[in-house]
Amino acid sequence: MISVEGLTRTYGAFTAVDDVSFTCQPGRVTGFLGPNGAGKTTTMRVMVGLTPPTHGRVTIGGHLYRDIPNPGRHVGVLLDASAQHAGRTGREILTIGARTMGLPASRVDEMLALVSLDDKEAGRRLRNYSLGMKQRLGIAHALLGDPSVLILDEPANGLDPAGIRWMRGLLKGYAERGGTVLLSSHLLHEVEIIADEMILIGRGRIVAQGDKKTLLAGEHASTLVTSLDNRALADALVARRVEVTPAGDGLRAECEAVEVGRAALEAGVVLTDLRTGSAGLEDLFLQLTSDTQRDAVAPAPATEGHLA
Amino acid sequence: MSATSAPLPTLDVSQTPAVPFGRLVSVELRKSFDTRAGRAYSLSVVGLCVVVMLVIALLFDEGFQDFSDFLLAMGGTLGFFLPIIPILLVTGEFGQRTGLVTFTLEPRRPRIVAAKLSAGLIISLGVLVLAAVIAAVGAVLASLRGFEVSWSLEYSQVQNFVLANLIGVLIGFALAMLLMNTPAAIVGYFVYSLIIPTVVGIIGAFVGWFQDLTPWIELNTAQTPLFTGDFRPSGEEWAQLATASIIWLVVPLTFGILRLLRAEMK
Repeated sequence: MISVEGLTRTYGAFTAVDDVSFTCQPGRVTGFLGPNGAGKTTTMRVMVGLTPPTHGRVTIGGHLYRDIPNPGRHVGVLLDASAQHAGRTGREILTIGARTMGLPASRVDEMLALVSLDDKEAGRRLRNYSLGMKQRLGIAHALLGDPSVLILDEPANGLDPAGIRWMRGLLKGYAERGGTVLLSSHLLHEVEIIADEMILIGRGRIVAQGDKKTLLAGEHASTLVTSLDNRALADALVARRVEVTPAGDGLRAECEAVEVGRAALEAGVVLTDLRTGSAGLEDLFLQLTSDTQRDAVAPAPATEGHLA
Repeated sequence: MSATSAPLPTLDVSQTPAVPFGRLVSVELRKSFDTRAGRAYSLSVVGLCVVVMLVIALLFDEGFQDFSDFLLAMGGTLGFFLPIIPILLVTGEFGQRTGLVTFTLEPRRPRIVAAKLSAGLIISLGVLVLAAVIAAVGAVLASLRGFEVSWSLEYSQVQNFVLANLIGVLIGFALAMLLMNTPAAIVGYFVYSLIIPTVVGIIGAFVGWFQDLTPWIELNTAQTPLFTGDFRPSGEEWAQLATASIIWLVVPLTFGILRLLRAEMK
């Protein structure tokens, strides 16, 4: 539904977005993930025509954004929840949006109820809103026109854990009803849980994309296991030609968990803990974007070093 | 993913009419009154007119209380403050960053520019009508004091009153789009309306040929015939008004609109 084709945006000598291409399918939540300043916001701004691209283009449902009549009815956008007049009430902000789109006033009440802003809160001026309330209002604004595509920049920013869970449910349900959702975040955990598809971006370039499985496919399996008899288990694993190293109270086995389970069953060893020891998405994410991080990703702290 | 994905579904927009222009104008009108600051400014402009009217009607000596005198005083007051209304209408989109939403809901920017211009003109005309009513009240008050008050008004006076204020409003609009910043645009307007005429006047006092040139190139000076004499500018004076307007109004308005159409909304 959203198609980004060879998008590049430069500011003088600085390249904010560098030849980025990806698509977002309807019925799926696409997570747009990257460290601060990676080019997520610029890409989304080009999508909705606020920033002209240097090269390439973005189409939504086959149209350039500016060619969509009354775009609020088709594409819900939240780029910055604070970018609203501080002196307007929440209700007034939604009313202006509803009027522009030609929606009845009742739609404003529906959206306020949907994002759980009560009458008193809706009557407050935006300058008195917490970031979480602004975020809820922004999501209400994006959903006003009952769009089939949602473009949300850091929507979870400022929401409390209950709010994040609420938003997750909202967006999941929206995608299940056939909507297309693109949401950006610099927090992996936020995206990992909700996104069906992930686009990883660092320093303006896409470093990886796909669903969670595809992204982790290249990673070799590793399992952490603790048992009542680690020595016997280690022997059983070595007999199966699995590389084993001690790790904490237990072992790290370079194989799938099922292999460890079989070895334990054969050796008659009782397991007390068994879990994946794979690097996981977080390590993958940090590794893929390591040269683009502002802060060097510290390797595991060395235990032998002494600070004199 | 990109190589194997099915063709993307398209969005059927054939059943969606564009946002009607009238709706954009009504939204812009609403936006200039739905904040405390917006309401307060328009009210204080009108309030100031009332104060000026009361001073002239109740404190001045007899001889300055014809309806046309009040109208001139209203025009002089509004000349300074009316153009700030369109400035706020435009610069608010940048200062408060509401432009992010405004230009996403209507990405065809020329329509937003036209809607803002229309809203600014509607509000300004509304204020001018109110000012005329206030001027009439002033004339009534003065006649209650026993002064002799003339109600006669020539068409040219009304036309000049509207024309001069429209020029001011359009210049405010142009500066707002050029500078995209509220304080800068307001200061810019006062530089144009107060400082430039003074500087030009000083230069003219020393350089004879420059004084002759001034009404052709300086818009405040070019507007003087609108408020003085018989209020009927001669053909040459209209020509001066036209050339000075090209320099101070048409050029900045053109560049201002171009800038707004191309600006990246931050």
